[in-house]
Amino acid sequence: MSTTSTASASGARGVARRGGSAPDTGTTPRRRRIRWQPAWLFMAPSLTIIAVFIAYPIVESFRYSLYDWRVGADSQEWLGLGNYTELFGDERFWNALRVTVIFAVASVALQLLLGYAAAAALQRDGWFNRVVRSAFFFPTVVALAVIGLVWRFLLDPQIGLVSGLIERFGGDPVQWLQDPALALPTVIFVSVWKNVGFTMIILLAALKGVPAQLYEAARLDGASGWRLTRHVTLPSIRPALLFATMIMTINSLQVFDLVYVMTNGGPLFATDTLVTMMFREGFENFRIGYASAIAWVLFALILLLSALQLKLFRYRDVD
Amino acid sequence: MRATRAALLAIGTAAAVTLAACGGSDDDGGSGEAAGPVALTLWTGFTGGDRAAYEELIATFNETHDDIQVTMEVQPWDTIAQTLPSAWGTGQGPDLATPNFDPNVIGRYLETDSLLALDAVGDGEDQINVDQLAPAAVEAFTVDGELYAVPANVATLQLYYNKALFAAAGVDAPPATVDDFRAVAQQLTGDGVYGLSLAERETIQMWPILQWLDGGDIVGDDNCSVLDSPENIESLTTWAQLVQDGVAPVGLTGAESDALFSAGQAAMQLNGPWAAPGYTDAGIDLGVAPVPTGVDGDVTLASTVPLAVSANTDHPEEAQEFLAWWTGVDAQKQFALASGFPPVRTDLADDPELAANDVVSAFAAALPSGRLYLQGVPNATEVDAEGYVPLIGEITRGEDVAGAAAAATERIDAITGCQS
Amino acid sequence: MSTDLRAGAQSSLKWILLGIGLVFALVPFVWMVTGSFRTEADLFAAPDRLWPATWSLHGYRGIWAELPFLRLIVNSFVFAGVTTLLCLLFDSMCAYALARIRFRGSTLCFWLVIATLMIPFQVTLIPVFVELFHLGWLDTYQGLILPRATSAFGIFMLRQFFISIPRELDEAARIDGAGHLRIYFRIILPLAKPALATLAVLHFMNLWNDLLWPLIVTSSTDMRTLPAGLTLFGGQHVIDHAVLLAGATISLLPLAIAFFLAQRYFVAGVATTGLK
Repeated sequence: MSTTSTASASGARGVARRGGSAPDTGTTPRRRRIRWQPAWLFMAPSLTIIAVFIAYPIVESFRYSLYDWRVGADSQEWLGLGNYTELFGDERFWNALRVTVIFAVASVALQLLLGYAAAAALQRDGWFNRVVRSAFFFPTVVALAVIGLVWRFLLDPQIGLVSGLIERFGGDPVQWLQDPALALPTVIFVSVWKNVGFTMIILLAALKGVPAQLYEAARLDGASGWRLTRHVTLPSIRPALLFATMIMTINSLQVFDLVYVMTNGGPLFATDTLVTMMFREGFENFRIGYASAIAWVLFALILLLSALQLKLFRYRDVD
Repeated sequence: MRATRAALLAIGTAAAVTLAACGGSDDDGGSGEAAGPVALTLWTGFTGGDRAAYEELIATFNETHDDIQVTMEVQPWDTIAQTLPSAWGTGQGPDLATPNFDPNVIGRYLETDSLLALDAVGDGEDQINVDQLAPAAVEAFTVDGELYAVPANVATLQLYYNKALFAAAGVDAPPATVDDFRAVAQQLTGDGVYGLSLAERETIQMWPILQWLDGGDIVGDDNCSVLDSPENIESLTTWAQLVQDGVAPVGLTGAESDALFSAGQAAMQLNGPWAAPGYTDAGIDLGVAPVPTGVDGDVTLASTVPLAVSANTDHPEEAQEFLAWWTGVDAQKQFALASGFPPVRTDLADDPELAANDVVSAFAAALPSGRLYLQGVPNATEVDAEGYVPLIGEITRGEDVAGAAAAATERIDAITGCQS
Repeated sequence: MSTDLRAGAQSSLKWILLGIGLVFALVPFVWMVTGSFRTEADLFAAPDRLWPATWSLHGYRGIWAELPFLRLIVNSFVFAGVTTLLCLLFDSMCAYALARIRFRGSTLCFWLVIATLMIPFQVTLIPVFVELFHLGWLDTYQGLILPRATSAFGIFMLRQFFISIPRELDEAARIDGAGHLRIYFRIILPLAKPALATLAVLHFMNLWNDLLWPLIVTSSTDMRTLPAGLTLFGGQHVIDHAVLLAGATISLLPLAIAFFLAQRYFVAGVATTGLK
């Protein structure tokens, strides 16, 4: 079933590409006159909600970042860019930035690699493949808080299954989450473990959309193995790679729940990401202005990386 | 993409109408109408095993008070930290709350005038009897001569020990002095067993007790760090060396430290009354002893959770009546027996029922020597998270104690604003 | 290809790796479920076993006795269900405008929507909380649902799908005199069913699992969702492993059932979102 609908979707896309531009150009002025109004009506509910509950609070948080903001105080102390200059002189911030970048790069790279491998291996539609796909996807369904909890127990040096097995085979328990050198790799592992199913599914969809003729033509030219992947598969699934990479990058730069449950940023700030630092400053140290400044620096970072990714993947709209 | 307040209200009302069918809750925020009993809302962070004892306490209050009904809404501490400042800061929110498990948080809420100064103080029927409450807590909750909270609970730490491991090692009594403490811990170490289970972070503080036992401290009266003083460096060096020798584990959280003791892999641990039921359930042959005597006499850590009233409550008298009842003799006796926590009052020491309860009496006995962690230190939460906890983490992993203590001192002094 | 020896070796390596992957993916959940039936003493005595020595129900008993269980489940379904439905409607409407109608400011709108994904949600907590206060929506269903009733992710995803639907279909309908509303309902939505189904599952799953939002918006036990209600069992100092694992198992159970019932459709559905 999935094969047929994929084929029809990609076929439809092909039609749009070929036939899209010709009628459009002639009718554009007429369209513009009569159509801008319905567009706003269609967007009204979403834009209202976004404006009220997302955009306005975001702008508000920028205002906080210019003050030494105390929630509910009658007057606030104006700092201008003071929070930002303090931030750039704060070693914790640079540490959190380093941790966040390492986390994001490593987890995105591993997720792409393993997700692609799994998708390629499970491409065919047998019942067995489908069961394995579901199993790989299952961790994605589960709340991060639950996953953090379960892995924290599994990796516990005393009661965890992992240590139990290592000890049974004569090893010493490993301090997965207690050793500053191991804590970050461990958290990255769990994050990849959870999210690799999502990447797999997205890439699987894309792989199924690659027309068989492309492969046949390339084989006739003598391409096989890696060359086939490099010159046919990867270019064909570039849009899906872009979507997956962008979403994963945005999400992993904002990683919070998993770290909060597993290590709360410790030991010795080894897993302290920008958002856990922000959370600590805002809700434990009550420095809302400072926390907001961290959020805005993170926003700038994500915006920059997203723009870079768009450039890297040479993103072009069909529309 | 701009939102004016008018637009906000407009969609608000529209949406409220459409969603009325979903059935909103009739939350009245405690606004006082004369009809019926006064309703008070209380937010607390008492999740987990102790929750039942607090809920029973509230039930008893509601049964015995026709004119006041209290509803306790329990939520995780970090949720309270995220919502209560906004709620109280904007003049709304619950009438009563435990704003944090850290008593030092009182100062934060005073900055926004969110707390009611308690004036129903005295030894009358419906008054808060300050003279009988645990002095450390009263001191922590008094700012510029005004009392802003009462202790919702008070706990002390005592020495838990594993009797089976002690017997196996031929040690017949828990250590009595700090030197004994170190010697026994070393003696019991071996065969996959740690002499002492220690936690460094996300835990009730254990390390400050070790320093206090050696006559040390963290922050002095002038709010300046004393961690780099010779006696503190000596104390920190001694204990860090024990950790590196394998007498105590490195880098555990509170929960992991508890698991170590529960698994019978540690002979001793400093912990509060809440830990006792779990250890018994896990099959540990459990002993509870006083913390060994330090060079300056008896000392242990005390912790207390503040219970405060909103400055904007419509029912300040009823709220204080509730606090008076909560800290009263009957309620504290009921609570102590149900939870194992010592009573927040000092005048229950001779009560026969409490004395007969091993856990309660053991932890109550430590009340006079209990000290609060970083009491009265400005920005104490930050001093802990940015200064003290990292220091312990560094020295137990082999960093030079003098250097790490000097760096921590510098950081702490910047946070407290100490002028040295 | 299957006759080739080297390919045979490769494929057995593939199965071995897949097998290892399967173990990694599933064992934590098995451990979670069996752990919820173990006593503390059992857990500490035999950490290397996957199976309880004796089955104990104490993890579940406490939760069952102390929570208004039915109420929490109803709340969870109302919150996740209604929000998902509203989200699908609003997201698809907005995506329709962005993908199928040419108008000035459409690119700007699109990027503004995407940009809201890039700010950590935690930083908006306080302003949103204050807003909900002024609206009187705290501890209400509308407060839980409405702020979540659209998502930038959903708009992004649906827009990408709608763009791939051939424009000729619109043109034909327009010649027949159809307006945008008709095209949206009669042509675009039916064609977008797989994408909508996928988005529905993703939204439902995220909303069901959401912990922070319900905790912030609701305060009374009667308004809590299931995961939020279960936070009552994680103590500050004391951890009862069986109780926490039982809570995790219970909150996962409805999702797991839904997942395995919809699994075939879902894995296929995600595969047809036509992401470009």
